[in-house]
Amino acid sequence: MTETPLEQLGPVDYVVVEFPAGASNFTGEMAEELVRLVNSGTIRLIDVLILTKNEDGTVDAMELSDIEELGELQALEAQLAELLAEDDVENLAAAMDPGSTAGVLIWENLWAAPFAAAARRSGGQLIATGRIPIQAIIASIEADEATATATEGA
Amino acid sequence: MPLRRARVGRVGVIGAPVAKTAVVAKAVTPGPSPVAKTAVVAAAVTPGRGRRRI
Repeated sequence: MTETPLEQLGPVDYVVVEFPAGASNFTGEMAEELVRLVNSGTIRLIDVLILTKNEDGTVDAMELSDIEELGELQALEAQLAELLAEDDVENLAAAMDPGSTAGVLIWENLWAAPFAAAARRSGGQLIATGRIPIQAIIASIEADEATATATEGA
Repeated sequence: MPLRRARVGRVGVIGAPVAKTAVVAKAVTPGPSPVAKTAVVAAAVTPGRGRRRI
């Protein structure tokens, strides 16, 4: 794997995708899309863990390599950096419901790396970042519409 | 399954327990689909459609 100089590193994100007990339906579609994102150079996959939260609250962690048939993920598994530490598992699993399984993905946004590097060279420092869920946008629009309706009716 | 040895005893990167995101949970909860509102959301993030009031 080619080492990326720190000043050229893109933003690194994570997601925890939970599958409630009995609700998972793995068809390989997620793996296909993940491989597509990596192969297109959009992201670089840094780490993957599969967590299971038992009914008593204890958590089991599985490495990607523990899965018997990785398929297309095999090539990605060889490139992982194992960024997550043991205490990260506990922190991430705090969001999970008992009986559920979750996939934890950490990736570098390669598409954003040139802009991030340019911002650093320009003296910029990241002071805030985040993701706006679609549901939050919907809530904002609905609040605006409710205000407009109330104003019209007044 | 035990974690790989490389993960044990290191300082983590997450830092604190993660809370479930309520709005994301709502989005995946069975019920009226948020997909129907996609057009409205798309309109809200379309360039030139300012709605900011400060």
